[in-house]
Amino acid sequence: MIRMKSVQFTLLIALLMLISACAAPATPGDAAESGQTASTESGEKVLRIAYGAEIDTLNALTSQNLTDIEILMVEGLIMSNDQNTYIPILAKEIPTLENGGVVMNDDGSVTMTWNLHEGVKWHDGEEFTSEDVCFTWDFIVSEAGSAVYNQTEYLNIESCEAPDPYTVVFTWKAPYAPYASLFDTILPKHVLEGQDVLTYDAYNRSPLGTGPFKFVEWKTGEYVQVEKNEDYWRGDPYPNIDGIIVQFIPDPNTRVNALKAGEYDFGQILPNQVKEVEDLAGYKVELVNTNAWVHFDLNIASERGAMLFSDQAVRQALFHAIDREAIARDLMEGTVEVADTGITPNSPYHNSDVMKYDFNPEMARQMLEEAGWTDSDGDGILDKDGESFSFTIINRNSRPERVAIAQVIQANLKDIGVEVTFENLENASWIEKWLSKDWEAVVSGWIIPADPSLTSLYACDASNNFTGFCSDELDAAMEASDMVLEFSDRKPLVDEVQAILAEEAWSLPLHYLVNPFVLREDFQNFKGSGTNLGSYWNSYEWDFGQ
Amino acid sequence: MGRYILRRLVQMIPLLLGISIIIFLVIQAAPGGPETVFLGQGRFVDPEIMEKYRQRLGLDQPIYVQYLRWIGAALRGDFGYSYTAARPVSQMILERLPATLELMAVGFVLAAIIALPLGIYSAIRQYSIFDYLGTSFSFLGIAMPVFWFGLILQLIFAVRLGWLPTSGRITVGNTGFGDQVAHLILPAVVLSLRYIAGWSRYMRASFLGVINTDYVRTARSKGLSEQRVALVHALKNAAIPVVSIMALDLAGLFSGAVITETIFAWPGIGRLFIQAMFDRDYPLLMGILMLGSLMVVFFNLIADIIYGILDPRITYD
Repeated sequence: MIRMKSVQFTLLIALLMLISACAAPATPGDAAESGQTASTESGEKVLRIAYGAEIDTLNALTSQNLTDIEILMVEGLIMSNDQNTYIPILAKEIPTLENGGVVMNDDGSVTMTWNLHEGVKWHDGEEFTSEDVCFTWDFIVSEAGSAVYNQTEYLNIESCEAPDPYTVVFTWKAPYAPYASLFDTILPKHVLEGQDVLTYDAYNRSPLGTGPFKFVEWKTGEYVQVEKNEDYWRGDPYPNIDGIIVQFIPDPNTRVNALKAGEYDFGQILPNQVKEVEDLAGYKVELVNTNAWVHFDLNIASERGAMLFSDQAVRQALFHAIDREAIARDLMEGTVEVADTGITPNSPYHNSDVMKYDFNPEMARQMLEEAGWTDSDGDGILDKDGESFSFTIINRNSRPERVAIAQVIQANLKDIGVEVTFENLENASWIEKWLSKDWEAVVSGWIIPADPSLTSLYACDASNNFTGFCSDELDAAMEASDMVLEFSDRKPLVDEVQAILAEEAWSLPLHYLVNPFVLREDFQNFKGSGTNLGSYWNSYEWDFGQ
Repeated sequence: MGRYILRRLVQMIPLLLGISIIIFLVIQAAPGGPETVFLGQGRFVDPEIMEKYRQRLGLDQPIYVQYLRWIGAALRGDFGYSYTAARPVSQMILERLPATLELMAVGFVLAAIIALPLGIYSAIRQYSIFDYLGTSFSFLGIAMPVFWFGLILQLIFAVRLGWLPTSGRITVGNTGFGDQVAHLILPAVVLSLRYIAGWSRYMRASFLGVINTDYVRTARSKGLSEQRVALVHALKNAAIPVVSIMALDLAGLFSGAVITETIFAWPGIGRLFIQAMFDRDYPLLMGILMLGSLMVVFFNLIADIIYGILDPRITYD
């Protein structure tokens, strides 16, 4: 029995330990000081980033993930910044009609001349030249370039010439307004020439760039480490920090725990985790508005959808019945901003003067009545010509926050006598259903680059228009806005596109998505960007400590 | 025995071929292909690019052509390239294997050290407080969701107490052995829980079955100490079913633990697998699943062999 007692004793100790651990007061400050954070004490400023799931490759052109890690090392002619604007990086300036870099030819083609910075060195000491730019273009438009997700945009370029090491001349088949969004990555010709770029690990797993940081190590499943590029072309003092470790932590809860334990200086979290870290000692939270917006789409490509939603007044009535404020405030915990157009307020192309669908169920009911929808059989659901006003929203299980939004919409519409049912699907099945166009309504989301073109989403024959809606007026406006090369000419056209879209009421913008970042309190010059190129665009300016 | 093993090894060949066909079909039967990964990212793509992408990967071919290509290459040791990483599948798996083996082996040993004495002691002191506690612990262990348990341990030992790191395999720049061990503790404990829960129940049941048999009673009546009776006479026979169950679980060593590895950001095969699944990365999925299948088949054989060694009444011919 003595052994028995000792076992019980051990269990008791274990139990006590667990209880005391739970009862111990939270001391995040202590944990932060326990020496696991950036090694400032050794004099080196090494930033530790708690990143999400591991990326596929470090080749920014062929990666299917966000390419923010690549941007620490690899640069392009341009980059998009926190103002949703393209800025020149390896080019001295972005060519325009005004500065003479863009010339319209009589045959309709466009000649575009990029002047490059001189004396920019690749990380191996070789000089960066116009040959590298043309090599990059050659790869993208080659057969292997189908791995580049926006290859078709580059196919609009007819030729690339390098008359001297610091000049690149593109000939475009026709004017293409988003031209300044291309070439965010340049490949090193002297490393990749003659290689199969898609499978060349010596580049794809250890990229060579011209950027502020040099590649050190990619430990599979664990981290990517980069160090300061001492010969960075911007010169002293850039970059300010000595190195960065990007640790892959796929689970969002673990990521928050790791930040709370003080193991990292910087990390991206989910909007519904903001409350958990708001008061975390030693850290601050920054909410970055993104170019992604969540929207409620109606579809007339399906039979039932066509029957219900073909009348514009009916669509507008439904939109007036949806309480977007409540979704933003209660569901998204006030972290997001209600959207009236797909282009965010921090883009210069944002149009704030579009038709707005204020929450007004009374008016919605009235509008539906005028359109002939009344509850003639008294079952609480509106009907017309013997058909009741009921439709189905397709939900995907992998996006619980959107399912929650759909539930709010369902409740809102029920109040005006419209019945909504759900069809819940697994991710890939949902995509298949969505592509088939055989559905009536959906809560979905898009992200656009800093360029404001919406043509590929809403044009009649657009590859991503799955709703069956089509407007000649809109098509004309979008086509025109994609062909002009000056901001002052383009802005009114993009404004018109947004105005028409709002009035047509095919898709109700709900809110812009927000990316919350947790940063150590003394972190400086974080300028989060909501574009598809991510928030690491100014890493050379980042700093912390003294 | 030698001929038996040889025969079993030969039988593995058609078995694995059959498995590979089934897996190949099942993987591709799932809705959505690798090109939907593009769409899953939320950015819009051109159907033309999607079609070119499918052609480049050979996905536009009939499925039997795709399978024959795959098996032809696989038989020559070439498991193809991952769609997303564009790297050899075998290389990607080999890179992950050490981390998975490390975690699984430690979790396994930990579980064995705790589960077996727990089961034996519960059986000897059947219906004692200890037995009840052990039983409750086992059911708790089986019922507790792994991800929840993992997160709670992180909160206690990393966030509150600051004793252990939350996740990862090492602290970058720290090459010390202590750092590695510290990173290993939480995932290994979480991983071992389900084995402890299962094995201790098997051990207890099996021991109870043996302890009341005639030969144990004979041993007792000879005046042997209770300890000797339990650990020498009863244990060997009680261990037979438990050992074969453990041997089968060993197959899992190579496929890793999906949830534990994800929660603790452990760079193992389980995480690679789940990512490959989301990405519909067919060659990588085939590689991982075939390795898993090979191990299950192989450890089945091992279990059968151990069975024969432990129980002389079982013969093979």
